[in-house]
Amino acid sequence: MNSLERVLAALRNQPSDRPALFLNASLYGARLTGAPLAEHYTRADIYAEGQMAVRETFSPDLLISPFFVSSIGEAFGSPWRALQGQAPNVMRFPVGSAEEMLKLPLPDVDSHPRLLYLRETIRRLSTHYAGEVPIFGVLVSPADIPPLVIGLEAWIDALLFQPGVAQALMNRLAPFFVDLAKAMLGDGATGLVLTCNLGNAFLVTNSVAETLTLPNLKAVLEEVPGPVIFHHGGCPLLDQLVSFKGLPQVVGYVVDIAEDLGAARGLLGPGPILLGNLDGPGLLHLAPEDAQGLCRRALGQRGGDNQIIISTCGADIQIDTPPETIAAISEVLRQAGGASS
Amino acid sequence: MERNYSQELLMAIERADRSGAALIIDAWAGQHAFSRVVPDLLSPVLETFGNLWASGHGGVSLATGYVASKVAEDVLSRLLQEAPAGGGNTPVKGPVVLGNVEDDFHPLGRKMVAAFLRTEGWDVRDLGVDVSAKQFVDAAEEVGSRIIGASAMMHTTAKNVARIREEIDGRGYTGRIMLAVGGAVFKLRPELVKAFGADGTSDSAVSASALFDELWQRSISLYPGTGGALEQP
Repeated sequence: MNSLERVLAALRNQPSDRPALFLNASLYGARLTGAPLAEHYTRADIYAEGQMAVRETFSPDLLISPFFVSSIGEAFGSPWRALQGQAPNVMRFPVGSAEEMLKLPLPDVDSHPRLLYLRETIRRLSTHYAGEVPIFGVLVSPADIPPLVIGLEAWIDALLFQPGVAQALMNRLAPFFVDLAKAMLGDGATGLVLTCNLGNAFLVTNSVAETLTLPNLKAVLEEVPGPVIFHHGGCPLLDQLVSFKGLPQVVGYVVDIAEDLGAARGLLGPGPILLGNLDGPGLLHLAPEDAQGLCRRALGQRGGDNQIIISTCGADIQIDTPPETIAAISEVLRQAGGASS
Repeated sequence: MERNYSQELLMAIERADRSGAALIIDAWAGQHAFSRVVPDLLSPVLETFGNLWASGHGGVSLATGYVASKVAEDVLSRLLQEAPAGGGNTPVKGPVVLGNVEDDFHPLGRKMVAAFLRTEGWDVRDLGVDVSAKQFVDAAEEVGSRIIGASAMMHTTAKNVARIREEIDGRGYTGRIMLAVGGAVFKLRPELVKAFGADGTSDSAVSASALFDELWQRSISLYPGTGGALEQP
């Protein structure tokens, strides 16, 4: 079985030779190529080389476009800074409120240079790995875009105290999101990975999630012509999983670090794939045998479930994580075999 | 039946109802001196809220924490307006220095901590985002602070807490200046507090004041000085 066949088997709830593996190694590619981060996050050829190096070194079964959400902020005018050893971060907001953001022009997904960079990484990877490795485009939902442009405080303020303005802003952002999603799929992405942190009651009130952010998410997902994996972002997901169940186009969920995959399956029922539950950033502190222990624990939670993909959660695997630790995870997966019935 | 203002205020905060909270505080102030609102009403409610937040109680979210900090700011602002010149909620503790560590541009948690600390009478000097280790210690030295409060959201930026530790130790302020840390990463990975050389953290923004009380006392017990403020090593 190749990686694409392995992931498709999981999606179809069919047995496979072993569980598929996903590593959030967007940043780590730069470690393997030695490319300066300023180039890794601005040149599609350099980024794609990094993902190819990740694939060659650790054999993950899915690859991703840059996990670089500040690029979306940049498209709306937020400058970012290339930081030592980490993905770039928005350093200043062009406007200070949802009302002001409503007046900003929407970026053109066919001409903005940073969006073209994201898209080009998908084109290169999907061409290189056609029929062999699924490539996923990384996106944030409309509810998660304003924190990159006006800041989290101003956005929470709008969601709580100016719901009409917040609704109008998400409605305005919807076509941009849909255009970018369609463009990424058109570029060859097998599917999309997206977050909706502001739909999670860990960050907002149930009322905001139920009346504003989740209805918006459902509406935009209806227009996405391809499969979507819902990512927990930085938030716990298990307690909120039922709220996100049955979202249009969503074929899988990445749960939070150490959240029980069996418990998640119990909440979701059969159908969607589940990805989890290794601590991606925390691998830095683990010896290879400890990482293998976490991996075996996750495998133990799958039982006879064909639809589990072992995955890192949280943010990027850190750039100074020893490669031996990541390789140890790949080794456990290689030896794992199919799901036990 | 007598109104339970504390319970009403807590519920308003949990509903993220800032204007409702203001009405409850107004009603309380109709029967009590407004100058007593912090110790007699707001502080106990915030303490309960902080405990709920720290325990992961359903219905408490970052957004309701934000509303709690806004309610606290509203009260402090009114105290300032109503007080005679030079009065108001005059800080009685500190000064302390707060900021987001170098390369961290996520101010929300820090602003909430600042609001809760001020409510509890701390004199807070807020340095903003992306503050270098040198800037932190320079500011603490300048104002005579025994505590630096450093906020970081992600693991990658939290590493810069270790640089503040080095700067404190390098200038001979070990034990004199205490290093408090907060932010999502420390809640998720509490072992990093020690690993990066910090002296403590709190379970939630609301409980930062209790942590600062403890750290201030620890500094004084090691280096009493005179008058409580920081002295040169």
